[in-house]
Amino acid sequence: MIQNFISMNGYGLFVWLSFAITFLVCAIVYYRTYRTLKKYEKDFAKELDQLSESERKLVLEKSKIASQVLASYSKSI
Amino acid sequence: MFDLINPSRIFHWIEKLINFINSIFFILLIIALTFALILSPPDYLQGDSVRIMYVHVPSAWIGLASFTSIALLSMLNFIFKIKNLNLITKSIAPIGLMFTCLAIVTGSLWGQPTWGTWWAWDARITSMVVLLIFYILFILAHKLIEQEEKANKVANIIAIIGLVNIPVIKYSVDWWNTLHQSSSIKIDGTSSIHASMLLPLMLMLLVLLLYCALILLMKYKTEIIRIKKKNIKRV
Repeated sequence: MIQNFISMNGYGLFVWLSFAITFLVCAIVYYRTYRTLKKYEKDFAKELDQLSESERKLVLEKSKIASQVLASYSKSI
Repeated sequence: MFDLINPSRIFHWIEKLINFINSIFFILLIIALTFALILSPPDYLQGDSVRIMYVHVPSAWIGLASFTSIALLSMLNFIFKIKNLNLITKSIAPIGLMFTCLAIVTGSLWGQPTWGTWWAWDARITSMVVLLIFYILFILAHKLIEQEEKANKVANIIAIIGLVNIPVIKYSVDWWNTLHQSSSIKIDGTSSIHASMLLPLMLMLLVLLLYCALILLMKYKTEIIRIKKKNIKRV
């Protein structure tokens, strides 16, 4: 039964290759997208860190997104 | 209405949505794969090679739907000049490109056992290659043109021109004599596909759509952060 499942009655190579390519590409794209997002969050947090205390406070007060990015970054580290 | 797609309004929902999709994704994936690879029956003519349909068809649909969305959003952008739409189209394009490539590759893998050839320049396949070229042009416009406003304009024009190709892809199997079979699933309810095959197909479509949503949200979030980072000094 397992042999049949693997060979797919002679179409195994084509079926498994199709599924493998699809999910491998999806996994690579997910990993790269996730890494890019984390890199941007990190760079953004670093840039905020380089500001003076008052400037940072001003940025966080004026930009809701800035504080959310910072919160998301702190959660992930 | 357009305020609803304002980045600062939806930003905090993005994280929640990403977490929600992550929490259900693997369960749905396992269910869909079980149906696609084990529970669904082999086709009476194509045998088990028909299982390639469960990745090929949703990939092609997503490739087409993504480009249609990009083109329609580009039109809206031309009319209403909403900057945020550019972020969305820019985030959708790589997903559409990926699924168009997957549709072509898995189609080729399906073609060999059913048609006896990896490739044929028939109307459906050729029009899918044209779609792939439009995706590449759209992405290249954003990558190669340094002025963001000009890049957006050129990319929007490419998307609107490319929209012409969508009905060509859809009706290519009816308009011309093609090696590619005509569609088995029709919106008007006259589908010729059996429920035992339709269910895994829809499950795989759902899983791949959730995956697209996940990537889109992450890419969109990245784009927002990139812009905010640029503006940080200005604030």
